[in-house]
Amino acid sequence: MIQLFHVSKYYEKRPALLDITLQIEKGEFVVLLGPSGAGKTTLLKLISCAETPDEGQILVQNRNIARLRPSDVPYLRRTMGLVFQDFKLLPKKNVFENVALPLMVQGATLFEIRKKVTEALKAVGIEQKKDSRPAMLSAGEQQRVCIARAIVNTPIILLADEPTGNLDDTLAAEIVDLFKAINQRGTTVLIATHNRHVIGQVNGRLVSLNEGKLSREYEPVG
Amino acid sequence: MRRLSYFVAEAVMNIRINRATTVIAVATMAFTLICFGVFLLLYVNLKEVAGSLQNEIKVVVYLADDPSSQGATDWQRRLKAEPEVASVVYISKEQALAEFRAQFPSEQHLLDGLGENPLPASLVLAIAAPFRSSHAVKRLSERLSAVPGVAQVQYSQDWIENLAAVVRYFELGALAVGAVLSVASMTIIANTIRLTLYARKDEIEIMRLIGATRTFINVPYLLEGAMLGTLGGALSLAMLKGGFEFVKLQLASPGRFWGMPSGLNFLPVQLSVLILLAGLVLGCAGSLVSVRELRKPR
Repeated sequence: MIQLFHVSKYYEKRPALLDITLQIEKGEFVVLLGPSGAGKTTLLKLISCAETPDEGQILVQNRNIARLRPSDVPYLRRTMGLVFQDFKLLPKKNVFENVALPLMVQGATLFEIRKKVTEALKAVGIEQKKDSRPAMLSAGEQQRVCIARAIVNTPIILLADEPTGNLDDTLAAEIVDLFKAINQRGTTVLIATHNRHVIGQVNGRLVSLNEGKLSREYEPVG
Repeated sequence: MRRLSYFVAEAVMNIRINRATTVIAVATMAFTLICFGVFLLLYVNLKEVAGSLQNEIKVVVYLADDPSSQGATDWQRRLKAEPEVASVVYISKEQALAEFRAQFPSEQHLLDGLGENPLPASLVLAIAAPFRSSHAVKRLSERLSAVPGVAQVQYSQDWIENLAAVVRYFELGALAVGAVLSVASMTIIANTIRLTLYARKDEIEIMRLIGATRTFINVPYLLEGAMLGTLGGALSLAMLKGGFEFVKLQLASPGRFWGMPSGLNFLPVQLSVLILLAGLVLGCAGSLVSVRELRKPR
């Protein structure tokens, strides 16, 4: 599903990622562990085509992202769901409208939008807040909206960058449970986190990054 | 259809959120289009004047003697035979005097002092359409001047030609002013949209990340520019019409104004539509300049 071959990325000649080789299979749940500055966000940006690698190759769904034309990038992104630490919700749109955006972008019908947004909001348990603006929601609720937006078009891959970074442990546990449920429906999930509490919850593969290098890999336990 | 309504809703929302910059952009666009419109108005009316005067070109042939009734008829027949002449009107010495008295009642004492009627008999020639040029009228005038019995030939072609030249200068002026103002208003619209874009930089980034194409992101901004431009165009037309009616009222006087039978004319429908379209196109172009800056490799 996701393949990285000797991938390096530099910012102002300083390596953010160095010689990363990694394969993530379809339906896997992978946690990318590492301290701040380890290169987790860079790795997710490369996979989501927000950046291009300076060295190496990245295949996402068997497509070499370095060779993708800029006009093809949006179509690849539509097969992915992205979850951010800072939620990245549109402040002037309500919850329903925020979650509906990926479907709007794809030209879905009004009927489809209503049906899928309602399902996504139910899945994250926030359907009663559909008319609220993001500013009226708690951090946990905003993160749920962000997850609903990421799963509303049934993505093949879900990328989450520090999804529990702004949440307390209880809320973080709830969010991780949501990811597990999404993964059980067949979506490949890749979470980047420095929160070691997440590890205990996840029955998936752990990949550890340190100073831009892949330091260790742990196979699923239990 | 659903996308279109989304784009329109987004554009309207942008305009509503950025009210202050919207007002400035619309006002500036209106002002620049007013300047252009004033030039157009002057051009349209001067052209009208030049055209109507061109149609009224008259050559006056003053006779050395006072011809008899038969002599006048002969003169008329002879001049009517000239290819350049469309019609001939004979004005006898008595008629000339009567016309002078009617036109200048306060100057009658000038003629009374002279005793004898000093005004010559004349023939007023209307020029046929194909010969209403400076060259043709001049040639006719020279030919007629050499005819025995003709004292003088007068025509008003020169200043009519000058007026036509002024109209041509106005035409060029309108083009130059239009070009300069177009760039100015485009820049202003571009800056307005740019402010909106900076304010919504994060939102645009989010749209990219959820798979929005460049077109999907850009279209609301292009629509916003088109709306601002059209609003500016409509406002300029309304203000031009108001200003025009005011000036027309001020200049209204009995009789003709500058030889125009129907007074001043407002811009014809085609030119009014042109101003609206100019606003729309300039607005779009301004937006395009701004959204091009959004270009990122990915």
